[in-house]
Amino acid sequence: MTTTNVTSEVIGSVWKVEMNVGDTVQTGDVIMILESMKMEIPVEAPTDGKIADILVKPEESVDEDQILCTIES
Amino acid sequence: MSMEQKTETLEERIDLLRQREVQARQMGGEEKIARRDAAGLMNARTRIDALLDADSFSETGLLGVSTFSDADRKTTPGDGKVAGFGLVDGRMIGIVSNDFTVKGASSSLTNMKKIGHVKRTATDRGFPLVFLGESSGARMPDNMGAEGMGTMLGNDPHQYVRERETPWVSAILGQCFGSSAWYACLSDFVVMRKGAIMAVASPALASLAIGQKVEPEDLGGWKLHSEETGLIDRVAETDQEALSEIRRFLSYMPSHSGETPPEAEVPAGSDEAAEKILQILPDSRKRGYDVRKIIECIVDQGSFFEMKPRFGRPGVTGLARLEGQVVGIVANNPIVKAGALDVASCEKITRFLVMCDSFNIPIIMLVDTPGFVIGIEGERKKAPGKIMNFMVALQMCTVPKLSVIMRKSYGQAYLNMGGGRNSDSVAVWPTAEVSFMDPQYATDVVTWGKEASEEETSDIREEMERNSSYLGLAEIFAAQSVIAPQDTRRYLVGELNVQKLRRSNGIGRHRLANWPTTY
Repeated sequence: MTTTNVTSEVIGSVWKVEMNVGDTVQTGDVIMILESMKMEIPVEAPTDGKIADILVKPEESVDEDQILCTIES
Repeated sequence: MSMEQKTETLEERIDLLRQREVQARQMGGEEKIARRDAAGLMNARTRIDALLDADSFSETGLLGVSTFSDADRKTTPGDGKVAGFGLVDGRMIGIVSNDFTVKGASSSLTNMKKIGHVKRTATDRGFPLVFLGESSGARMPDNMGAEGMGTMLGNDPHQYVRERETPWVSAILGQCFGSSAWYACLSDFVVMRKGAIMAVASPALASLAIGQKVEPEDLGGWKLHSEETGLIDRVAETDQEALSEIRRFLSYMPSHSGETPPEAEVPAGSDEAAEKILQILPDSRKRGYDVRKIIECIVDQGSFFEMKPRFGRPGVTGLARLEGQVVGIVANNPIVKAGALDVASCEKITRFLVMCDSFNIPIIMLVDTPGFVIGIEGERKKAPGKIMNFMVALQMCTVPKLSVIMRKSYGQAYLNMGGGRNSDSVAVWPTAEVSFMDPQYATDVVTWGKEASEEETSDIREEMERNSSYLGLAEIFAAQSVIAPQDTRRYLVGELNVQKLRRSNGIGRHRLANWPTTY
């Protein structure tokens, strides 16, 4: 079992979280959507697996490289 | 001369030569080489072997040593820099590989002559030059005092001249101070191995000079150079990986500026991938996407080689092939800062344009930007000057320039990204929108400080909301073609053929060839 950290590409805030802990994801699935510079930035699963943890909530600010959630595979 | 020497036979002389050759190839000695092996580090000679085609290395200056003192003669095999010529994918290159096991590959009289010879030959005979960097700087005491300075340094008035006659490549594979750092900064492509350091002077010397403890990674580590200074193009985990990155870079480059880059076979599935664009491009104009995925759909499969992926990320630059022909891609990435170009992006794109133009590589611009980043941070970093460097470079390029407006193209960035006559032809997607700025901002600007009624403001806003769609551009021929996203590959291949520099056999005028390598 390996854990993959999913990090933010940008500084911004969390707009919508589209998945829950325990959900199964495939590479490319949208886990959440951030908002940055008036743009919606989708956060996609970098690998297949199961969402182990979601570390942010809607409206929360996020930094570049901040860990948003983890995937176990 | 003694009687014994006079009576040496030819065989004895050849034996002596063989002994000397073996000694020279032992570099700084078994112990030092073994220590590197144990640490997983390649040495100056294994690096050359890994870079070049098998058995193609032709060494120059193998028996060179430092003649500074009698002691040095015996302890400086090759004088710390292994130099020569060899083949990469069957094409000639010149190479200087620093041998850190001999006096830290420091610069001295003999090895500087070796570098000069390889550099002159590569330039005059038209092939790339590769520096495998790992050096401590100037050798001491050789360089000390007036005599040292006067003898060792500054005797070649062309030493640091970069006119881009042939491509230069550098690898940062260990401590790189002095010449290894200088040549890296003059190169068209720089790859750095994690754990290596590039700086003006060593952390120890820096600590002595400023009286403060300096950490090597802070002074010149891979994170600093890939993310903050942008002085390197790619990061590698190992020496091996760094060397294969060099081979890959060279596969896109002509041997010299008087020829076009080599063509390659078109990988299977390249045309089919173009259809996938529609799955990547979002329906909503507000939704970001990673433009690199779009690029991968357009170019020959697996051919996109990104330059400086961690630096100036709202701008994307990279080499790729279209139907086997090398192209330089400049794109905006809406997933980072909405694709708004910052100072680092401008520096990165300028440098890339200069390289492409100097080596006859056509430029493709993929546009989706709300403009340049505005605000105090950018102004403090000379944003207007950087935007103009980028603009001048683009206007002076004489290689074919094609631009595709995918979505937004606003304000000055419209010009910088090839809008109007700033590219040889402009194509637009039906998702394109072009204007000077957001209509609400424009209304605010013209009503600033004025007493305008709600009705007046609304009228002004209406006027500002003029047709900004692709049709507006097509109607007045500000765009030469309107294409569906999935047809972009086919369109670009056709248009590259139209815009080919037939009258000069694909060779541009190279008006940027002596521009700086750092911005």
